[in-house]
Parts: sequence; structure tokens; C-alpha cells
Amino acid sequence: MALFELSGVTVTRPRGSEHSHPLTGVSTTIDGERCTAVVGPSGAGKSTLLRLLDRLEEPSHGEVRYKGEPLRSYEVTELRRRVGFVQQLPVLLGVTVREDVRTARADADVEALLERVGLRADFADRFTAELSGGEGQRVCLARALSVEPEVLLLDEPTSALDRKAAQQVEAVIRGLVAGGMAAVIVTHDLAQAERLADDVIVVVEGQVIESGPSYGVLGAPQDERTKLFLGRT
Amino acid sequence: MRTVPVPSWWGVGLSLVLVAVALAVAVRAHLDNARDIGLAALRAAVQLVAVGALLKVLFQHTGLPGSLAWVVAMVVIAGRVAAGRGRGLPGATSTATFAIAVGVVATLGVLVGAGIISTKPFVVVPVGGMVVSGSMQSASMVLARLRDEMASSRRQVEARLALGMTGADAFAPHRRTALRTALNPAIDQTKVVGLISLPGAMTGLIIAGVSPLLAIRYQIVVMYMLLGAYAIAGVVAALVTQRRVFDDAERLLPLVASAPGRRRGRMGT
Repeated sequence: MALFELSGVTVTRPRGSEHSHPLTGVSTTIDGERCTAVVGPSGAGKSTLLRLLDRLEEPSHGEVRYKGEPLRSYEVTELRRRVGFVQQLPVLLGVTVREDVRTARADADVEALLERVGLRADFADRFTAELSGGEGQRVCLARALSVEPEVLLLDEPTSALDRKAAQQVEAVIRGLVAGGMAAVIVTHDLAQAERLADDVIVVVEGQVIESGPSYGVLGAPQDERTKLFLGRT
Repeated sequence: MRTVPVPSWWGVGLSLVLVAVALAVAVRAHLDNARDIGLAALRAAVQLVAVGALLKVLFQHTGLPGSLAWVVAMVVIAGRVAAGRGRGLPGATSTATFAIAVGVVATLGVLVGAGIISTKPFVVVPVGGMVVSGSMQSASMVLARLRDEMASSRRQVEARLALGMTGADAFAPHRRTALRTALNPAIDQTKVVGLISLPGAMTGLIIAGVSPLLAIRYQIVVMYMLLGAYAIAGVVAALVTQRRVFDDAERLLPLVASAPGRRRGRMGT
């Protein structure tokens, strides 16, 4: 069974931010226990698609299902604990790393969570204001993991990081997926999609134009617009 | 009681000299606001004459119902003024009006119900005015701060929502910041009352010939009343706003764009 199914989903006026873009009649599926990359040019609606999966956006038409059930049938707070979300820029919520990671769960095992994202246990007592971008993003990942999600949604999590920090975050994502967690990552970086993703969904001008295993979509695209996009980047 | 030393109309006219001084300073310094100063002085005189005449009728003929109607009118006007500070928040006018009304009903209700102040119109109207004014300032500051928080902290709120927190929990740090900001002036004012300022109610009573030791009793009640009104109106404004800025899916709504040319809801005083 697919993890997520989108059927004829249209979002006319995304509410996320001025950077969110509409979607038109999107139908696609996202499978579990693997990494799916959503790629496409800027302004294509990639982030809107991702935010739909966590009900941070709502469809104007169509339906999104999670594990076979309509998203709306889940209590929204419960859904968001099961479907974690990491934003593009590190958004730190606590004064210290410990406080930050425990934002949603006061009893979270901070040291164990930091270890899962490749940070030493002594980071727990560091001030968040002193973290580098890459460290901050890994703390955000640890915080997302604190509520034990079944799947992680990642909205261009490395686009604001330098190469070394991006590699570290990628390694964390790869490790989580290898450990059985599903991940959906929005990226404009095709090389990153190739490195991380098992499946790829191509979004252009608010529509899914091609999807499937990454070696097929990125290696031998069928749609002319995909070829154009891949050739342009 | 001795006769209250009130300025004659001649004296009032003579005080226009001070307006002329302000105008002269503005013109000489090229401040480009002499017209505003003149209009403000004229408007103040016209408004106060009209209010004075209305209050005279109110005090002599309408009793408590008329006084309460006056307080209701003040609440409605104050709601519009406070809403101007929260422009962009959904339902800012009704939120502000409701918050001010709750602040006024709660504090005046306690004072009147417990027999601490009289129900005479000449008591209810001015005391009501002070409570409305305090509630308005508090609601106004809470709405302004919440609007700024919504604009600047959307990503933080969404990060908390994405962890499965409710809108109320995700917004709590921003609500606390707004309320602290709104309450600080009232707390400071209460701390320094009598030391660096002689407040209005006490000053008025002293001018009217009441012993300072009696006047302070009134002032203490007024300060406590204002502190209560500030807190109640601020909390109500914050809670109602919080309910209105999240939808059923616990998503933070965008700020409402103001229609071009729409009245701002801010009114002169």
C-alpha cells in the first residue's frame, strides 16, 4: 500500500508563504520505507505538494490519503506527530539544544536523538544561537525525530548550507532511510536527488509530469518537459 | 466644601496664548505642522465643549441607564481605535471591542457590585472612561504585538505545529510576549504612582478641595482597577485573537490584506 496517495489535488491559494505556489490536478503516489525526491524548477509547487502531506496546506479539490485513509480522517495533531516536517532554514525554538529538542516532548532522550543526527551528546547544553547552519539543521532533525514520526518531510533541508554541512545532513537522511524511515525530500539539486532518492516526482508549473524510480526518471526521462528541466539544470 | 477654583472663559481664551507659542515655534522651525497644531487645538475645544454639554444633560436627567449607554458608546469607539493597531488580524475590531467590554464589565462590575464606588452618573462616567481607556491601551498593544509576531514568527509557529502541537500551544510563547509587553506600562505606572506623577483622579479631587489623604483612597482604587482592566482586556484580546488566527486544521492563517482606501479605524482623540 502506498504511504501517500494524491488524487486530483488542486491548491489554488497556498497559505504557507509568498513562496508557496499553486498545484493543479495532481495525482501521484509516494511509497513507504524509501526516500522520494520531489524535483522541479523554482516556483513549480514542490513545497506546496510537501506541505499538503502534513496538512500545512489544504487542497481546494481532490484528496490526499495517508496509509489508505483520507488525511482529514486523522486528528491533525496526531497526523503531524506521525509525519515529521523539517523546514528549509533551521528554525530553532529553544535557548539551548536540550530545550529545543524537547519542544514537543519534555521527556525526550536528547543525547540519543543527537546521536541519531550525528551530533555529540555534549551538544545538548550548547546555546542554539552559537550553532552553525548545518548543526542547527541537524538539531531541527533531532527535534522532528523526538515525536517518533513514521515519515519525514524535508523541504530543501540543505539549500541554505555550505557543501560540507549539506553532506553531513545528507548522511543523516541516508542513515534514517537505511534504518527504515520513509522520507520525502524537496530539492532543486538533481545530484542530491540522485544520491538520496529511490523514487523521483517531477513537478513543473503546478503539475506532476513524471514520477517513478530515480534511475528511470533522471536517467531516461519520457516527458519532454522533464527532459527540458533536466537539460536546463 | 469650598468653591472649586475653575478658570473663567476669559482665562480659557487667554490660554490660547500658549497655542500661539506652539504655532510660532512650529512656523519658525519650519516643522510644517502648524496647521495640525491649530486644528488639534480647535478640535480639542469643540470636542470638550460638546462633551461637557452632553455630560451636563446626562448627569442631570438620565441617571444610571444614560451613564451606562455612555460607557457602551466609549467601548465601541475604543474598540475601533484599538483595532487600528491590529490591522491585518482577522476580526480585529470585534476582538478589540469584546476584550475592552469584558475588561470594563469585570472591573466596573466588581467596583459597583461591592459598593466601592457609587452608581451616580458623575462617578460611573469618569471612572468608566478611565477603565475603557486602560482596556483600550492594553487591547491595542496586545493586537499590535500579536500582528507583528504573526508576521515575523510564522516559521517558528509552523515548526511547532509540525511537531503535532495545537495552535494554542504553538502560539503560546508569542501570546506571552504580547501580554508582557501590554502589561508592562500598567505595572510601571502602578509602581511609580505619586512619585513621579500625580494621577488624574487624585489631582482632580485635590483641585476640587478634597483632602489629599482622602483623594489617595480613590486613586488606589483607580490604580488597582486599571491594573485589573489592563490584564483582563489584554488576556481576552490575546485568547480571542489566538482562536481566530488558526483554522480547523491548526494552520496559522495569513494576515488579512487591508483594502486600499479603507478606513484605518484609528480615530483622533
